[in-house]
Amino acid sequence: MLDAFSRAVVSADAKGSPIGASELVALRKYVSDANKRIDATLAITQNVSCIAADAVAGMVCENTGMTQPGGNCYPTRRMAACLRDGEIILRYVSYALLAGDPSILDDRCINGLKETYVALGVPIANAVRAIEIMKVATVAIMTETNSGRKMFEGINSGSGAQCQEIAAEAASYFDRVISAIS
Amino acid sequence: MKSAVTTVVTAADAAGRFPSTSDIEAVKGSFDRASARMKAAEKLASGIDQVTADAVDAVYGKGSYDQANKDKCARDIHHYLRLINYCLVTGGTGPLDEWGISGMREVIRAQMLPTAAYIEAFAHIRDRVCVPRDMDQQAATEFKSLLDYLINALS
Repeated sequence: MLDAFSRAVVSADAKGSPIGASELVALRKYVSDANKRIDATLAITQNVSCIAADAVAGMVCENTGMTQPGGNCYPTRRMAACLRDGEIILRYVSYALLAGDPSILDDRCINGLKETYVALGVPIANAVRAIEIMKVATVAIMTETNSGRKMFEGINSGSGAQCQEIAAEAASYFDRVISAIS
Repeated sequence: MKSAVTTVVTAADAAGRFPSTSDIEAVKGSFDRASARMKAAEKLASGIDQVTADAVDAVYGKGSYDQANKDKCARDIHHYLRLINYCLVTGGTGPLDEWGISGMREVIRAQMLPTAAYIEAFAHIRDRVCVPRDMDQQAATEFKSLLDYLINALS
């Protein structure tokens, strides 16, 4: 598993050269954006249940048959599994966001996810839809474009408008999950 | 690769929980030290050849020695300094542990290398770091503690 720093180390080691000024530019940016990164991670961890529940509810509302007998979210045991998976994906996205590198998401969440879903008969299109809703909700909370309570009042980085870049990074991690299972 | 962030994330994942406030505090702490570490890394990277040559001269002194041996000594010191540069970047001892120290004892014994010479070289580098000529106090502290870590492992 790597983070932004060890990623730089691994690529420098491949060349056998030390990490100098030019490679440090990107890492300095990572450090100077640390508060935004931490706030963005908090935006996920403080809203997990809300994001996952809304995403699964949205997915079901668009396909009402899912909670009927014969549907993939019937009975509640399977709906609960769905909520659990939403939270697991959010958890690994929050790790990747904190580390600034997707390797933990790749190694521990995405690897084999598609095969597992296919084997269990999970409808991929619906899973993708739920992850898309989670992505939109997460980005909205991070950039404070959501309705309801705003995230950044009184904490580190000031305002959601300054977190566009980091929210885009978070979105890229959700996209990574989506493209892996599609 | 062990670093401040990956250690925290691995522990959180083992417990199956989201990054907690204390996890985030730990990461934040490493970020606070990061600018000093990176300054030290940058200085070391720009002067690595000079530092290596200087340490080799200090170890060999004025006597005449086989140039091939001297070159190998320089190569090894350069290698360890590069790993220290990586450690300064990651904020942990991961690169030194994984690429420098694990298996080192066996190799050194098999090749019958004098570890005392390496220890002397790194101690020389450590003692010659001058504040503020080479780097500032905080950066020097980070650099010296890694040199001590390596000396300890070689001893």
